[in-house]
Amino acid sequence: MSQKTPEGIPARQLTSCGDVSCEWLVNPIPRPEPDPISISLKPKVPRVTFVDHRKPNSKAILTLAQRILRDRGVEVADEVLDKGDASMPMPAAMLARLAGNPGLVVCGVSD
Amino acid sequence: MSHEVLRDIENCMDSGWTDGLPVIPPYASLVDPMLEAMGWEASDVIGEIPDQKIRVRAEQAAATAVMAGCRTEYGPLLRALSQALLDPLFNVSGVEVTTGGASVLVIVSGPIVERLGFEHEANAFGANNRANATVGRFAQMMRFFCGKGGGVLKSHGTIGHPGRISFCIAEHPVTAWGPYHTQFGLPAEASAVSIVATEGPNSCNNHYGSTGEAILRTIADCMAHYGQTAWYYRSGGFVVAIPPDHMDLVGREFSREAARQFLHDHARRQTDDLLRLGRIPATPIAYAEVEWGAPRSPLRDLQQLSFIECGAPGGRFSAVVPRWVGGQHVICRRIDQD
Repeated sequence: MSQKTPEGIPARQLTSCGDVSCEWLVNPIPRPEPDPISISLKPKVPRVTFVDHRKPNSKAILTLAQRILRDRGVEVADEVLDKGDASMPMPAAMLARLAGNPGLVVCGVSD
Repeated sequence: MSHEVLRDIENCMDSGWTDGLPVIPPYASLVDPMLEAMGWEASDVIGEIPDQKIRVRAEQAAATAVMAGCRTEYGPLLRALSQALLDPLFNVSGVEVTTGGASVLVIVSGPIVERLGFEHEANAFGANNRANATVGRFAQMMRFFCGKGGGVLKSHGTIGHPGRISFCIAEHPVTAWGPYHTQFGLPAEASAVSIVATEGPNSCNNHYGSTGEAILRTIADCMAHYGQTAWYYRSGGFVVAIPPDHMDLVGREFSREAARQFLHDHARRQTDDLLRLGRIPATPIAYAEVEWGAPRSPLRDLQQLSFIECGAPGGRFSAVVPRWVGGQHVICRRIDQD
């Protein structure tokens, strides 16, 4: 019987039980400790900040989105921040700064 | 095999403990000897992925080795390979989730190739051989298991390639240009395992060329086709595999350094053509260092190009393996006890 969680996350523990005894199977999959950061999709203030990750067309699309949102009366940060490299994690200092941002943060768009 | 074991295999498959193929269930009684062979205690932390708050313990790597079908004799190699995979410069999470669909190319070189029975000749890129298949599978499973944030991240590979199941090549024990790992500062007599994030390999055929230059021009053209990924950022590179029949010609005319320079000079396209076809944008970022009007190389510098000598005699093929453009490092580790 499948022990995968409803979210599709691999099982934390499996055992093999025969007629008289059981043996643990060693879990090969490391997990975040503590749990990964949570993402809120409901910003506390109606303000949008864009972060470019330098993928092709990302900056052009973000800049266009900036203009469209402004035309619709949404407050948008003037500066499109630069993450540096799409293939690398966001620098810790930038992540910490953005984590405290009460508005909506949009990071890059793919290709 | 008992039905209980088959049930355990199915249980692993149904529970997310798999790369898509049936696995050897990681019974503790199998993982313990693998841990010993790798020279670790179960709770040793062998690497971290700080951005995902993940610490990888030795027992997890050993369980993965068992699941992939590795023999305990591979222990020292798997130890070095695990350390390479978890080297922050390799960026295993990036390799796993990128739209580029990259895999981990594992390159084994030195005396360990023959000692552990790696295939380095026939079908060197897809050998139906236990050492190649299971060591390559181990690396992909580690990528898959460790790079997804414990299963919470989604992989975004647009098309991927079959090497994401297993991709391990071994070098000939005797080479014209010296072992692969000497390109990364290790002594010739060492055994080593190197990893690099790559796209799938391109076969490069030349059956009628009679000079080394003709072979290298063919390889240069393969590196410089319009569809290859590196035209804009140029931050990846290539692994070029040259089997014996091509090497007989190339080795007579070129040293490794001269071949690298030749390919750098000849694998080029006109910048205007790249713009016309949409391979670089009209307003490139400064990082891309676009020089309008100049022939453009997909390489930023010569060190992004490495050579391996493998494959069978009797066919006049080489191969060009484009590196993932997000992976800027080949991680090369010496294998201890060899």
